[in-house]
Amino acid sequence: MAADLRSLLTELHNALNRNQLDATNDLLSRAKRALLLQNALIPTPSTSPELVALGREVLEIGALAAIRQTDAPTFTRYYQQLQPFYDLERDSTNAGKMDFKTSQRSKITGLYLLLLLSMGDSATFHTVLEGLVEEASLKDKNVEDDVYIKYPVDLERNLMEGSYDKVWRETNSERVPSEEFALFSNVLVGTIRSEIADCSEKAYPSLPISNAKNLLFLESEGAVIEFAQQRGWVLRDGRIYFPVEPEAATRSEKDILVASGTIIENAIGYARELETIV
Amino acid sequence: MPAERRSLRSNSKSDTSSSANGDKARSNSQNSGSNKDKATPTTRAAASKAKNTRAASSNNNQSSNMGEQRDQPQANGSEPTENGVNGSEDVEMGEDSAGAPTSSHNARKDRKGDEKMTVVVPPSKGSRLAGEKGQDQEGDVSMEGAEGDEKAEPEVDPKVKAVQDIKTNFTLLERAVAHFDPRFTLRVLRSISSMRKHITAEVLVEVIVDTYPSSNPTATFLLEAIDQADAFESATKMDIESDKAKLPAKESLPEIDTYLSILVQIYLYDRKDIEKGAQFSTNLIERLRTLNRRTLDSLAARVYFYYSLFFEQIAPLPPSPAAAVTTIRQPLLAALRTAVLRKDVDTQATVMTLLLRNYLSTSHISQADLLISHNRFPLSASNNQIARYLYYLGRIRAIQLQYTDAHGHLISATRKSPSSHSARGFYQASHKLLVVVELLMGDIPDRAIFRQTTLERAMHPYFLLVQAVSVGDLDGFLNIVNTHSATFRKDGTYTLILRLRQNVIKTGIRMMSLSYSRISLRDICLRLGLDSEESAEYIVAKAIRDGVIEASLDHENGFMKSKEVGDIYATREPGEVFHERIRACLALHDESVKAMRFPMNQHRLELKSAQEARERERELAKEIQEGDMDDEDAGGDFDAI
Repeated sequence: MAADLRSLLTELHNALNRNQLDATNDLLSRAKRALLLQNALIPTPSTSPELVALGREVLEIGALAAIRQTDAPTFTRYYQQLQPFYDLERDSTNAGKMDFKTSQRSKITGLYLLLLLSMGDSATFHTVLEGLVEEASLKDKNVEDDVYIKYPVDLERNLMEGSYDKVWRETNSERVPSEEFALFSNVLVGTIRSEIADCSEKAYPSLPISNAKNLLFLESEGAVIEFAQQRGWVLRDGRIYFPVEPEAATRSEKDILVASGTIIENAIGYARELETIV
Repeated sequence: MPAERRSLRSNSKSDTSSSANGDKARSNSQNSGSNKDKATPTTRAAASKAKNTRAASSNNNQSSNMGEQRDQPQANGSEPTENGVNGSEDVEMGEDSAGAPTSSHNARKDRKGDEKMTVVVPPSKGSRLAGEKGQDQEGDVSMEGAEGDEKAEPEVDPKVKAVQDIKTNFTLLERAVAHFDPRFTLRVLRSISSMRKHITAEVLVEVIVDTYPSSNPTATFLLEAIDQADAFESATKMDIESDKAKLPAKESLPEIDTYLSILVQIYLYDRKDIEKGAQFSTNLIERLRTLNRRTLDSLAARVYFYYSLFFEQIAPLPPSPAAAVTTIRQPLLAALRTAVLRKDVDTQATVMTLLLRNYLSTSHISQADLLISHNRFPLSASNNQIARYLYYLGRIRAIQLQYTDAHGHLISATRKSPSSHSARGFYQASHKLLVVVELLMGDIPDRAIFRQTTLERAMHPYFLLVQAVSVGDLDGFLNIVNTHSATFRKDGTYTLILRLRQNVIKTGIRMMSLSYSRISLRDICLRLGLDSEESAEYIVAKAIRDGVIEASLDHENGFMKSKEVGDIYATREPGEVFHERIRACLALHDESVKAMRFPMNQHRLELKSAQEARERERELAKEIQEGDMDDEDAGGDFDAI
């Protein structure tokens, strides 16, 4: 059976390298079935190290294939399935017994972090990161020593800080640690572009179109005009005028009404409470 | 039971025997017989003075007689240790709190009790027992716990005394079962910490041999745990002529079994006999699970607490994913389920906090979060458990970026944290986290926090951090993070602190926006130590969007222009803040009304007196009626005459 799996695995590697994703999917389901038959899809401490390594490799290929097909739910599923394997790896007592050199743990984890980041799920992002930091400090290392982990962590920090130009540079150049990471670049650029647009609406009264092109990381002025129309910005004399909040005046009137209502309500509330106390 | 009233009464000599603590009154009067000058302290100050001298002298006696080592200064140091509220010396955060008082009120009461307790020379055990039987009012809580005995009888060998104390606690436990009143059990648990130093193998053996008949399986179980399996044989040889009148072979209460087991656990823990303790605790929990008695709840909670404590110290230690603590999750979850089904609040609360601690120690945050979302923490749990639960909750929420929630939980945790010196670890840990969360929320913590003596040293790195954040000094901030990174990692706040970088930048921008009406992006970039002007522009734009500053940008000329700050009193904000405070005050009032406790069965007394009054009235009415008749009769007679 293990031999079967191994041959399946080589086929899988080939298929993935040639980017034949349909074939990969077929092979993957066969490989997973083989793993299930051997009771190795969920490893236990008693599973033989060889099988663990094979199972992990199959699932890792599955995860990578899912990323290439930009199939986030499948990738998440593979990531979850890989966790028991990685838990074995984290367990230092197993270090001698099993071979973790082929493990792509940090790459998969890095991709997962990036996925969370692109989905805007920062709570889970930090939860995962917390575990990683803890683990790294246990080994007297820094999480950022790992290039695959460092990438999403840096991106997140820059995004939160607002250094969008750095995010842009990171996604754009050859700094991406591997080709799978590059797949997220488009999503991220889209995210930062809308962020920048949000900020610009509040921060600038108006902007020349040429400057806006640089600010928004767009290729041409035509793209700027298209983008501006999408967001409903006014274009006049080669400048973009951002819509001012029109309801500022009317709102204050409504404000007063609401405010006096709450004040009356509160005062009556106090009176009632005092009554009960006295 | 209002503590004030009780303490006043027991100080006044005219204590009527119908008062709640007749026992106390008795011992007080005995005391006055033995030491005439100190007996009835007229003022509180005198009382405490007397207490101090007495405590000190007892300490001296003890240390000279028995070579007893005390780590406190002699003059006034004995009180904290002896004070059984929360006092045990473990470093573990709040480790002593497992079964401690149900409310802060309780703690206060205890302290009150302690204050006067020192002057009291309790009668010997026999006379006390007699006294207890003689008084049917004994059902109430009187505060002379085992702690009192310890100081007051310096001449007695500590071993004998410890044995006596333990046995006294048996009667308390029996009473707890008979009256179904958990407060007796809590008192017993509180006394553990003061007794802790005296627990030795001999003491335990003596108590066990005295309590159980030799065939009892529980006794064998306990004795095996402390390596004294053959104690019965040797004991019977020794006692054969002296102690004929042994206890009748009655069935001992499971509460007493459990209490002794806890003592054994503590003994093993203090001796750092971790492996054995873990083994013993595992077996103990197996036995406990078969019992279903509500009077056992708080004891069981304590057992689980030590159970988990043992496993936390077994290698591989927690942060490693294969830590020994992970193996006890299953039993703890089972215990939680059972506790919920039995409405066993004490165990439920304790086990839940233990599980959270367990998950967090291996940074399984999502599991901890799931545990919280699928369980309701019992509101009536003891104060200390609530404090710990809130701390863990705050920690989880902080990691999940829900700072407002985290802040609320941590504030409650710090406020509920016991103030005694032994719980200092918890107090510090929760304050550290609170400070970081406040910074993350963009608030600057109050400076007064760092001035508290209990916090000053531990919080120093955080103090520096706050300073850096509050002036928006990015370089200084990074410096501090680097120098103190080991401390922050140890406190588990490192990742949270790394998130602070953006707050430092925001504060920096806000400072600049306040001080300059117009500043070039280049200057901003230089002052904040940013990499490029472009970054600065985006960051400022984001700050404007997030409402950190009121300003606008001019891209062509590259500067930031601040807007005039509006008058805050023209907005709704002051009103809202006012409302917020009023609401807090009202809530406080409501809480304190709810927290009031009244003595049990008091209403029956009132009913009785009401009934008496009614009867009296009826008699009166009858008399009047009769009197009327008499009058009439008399009148009639008079008329007739």
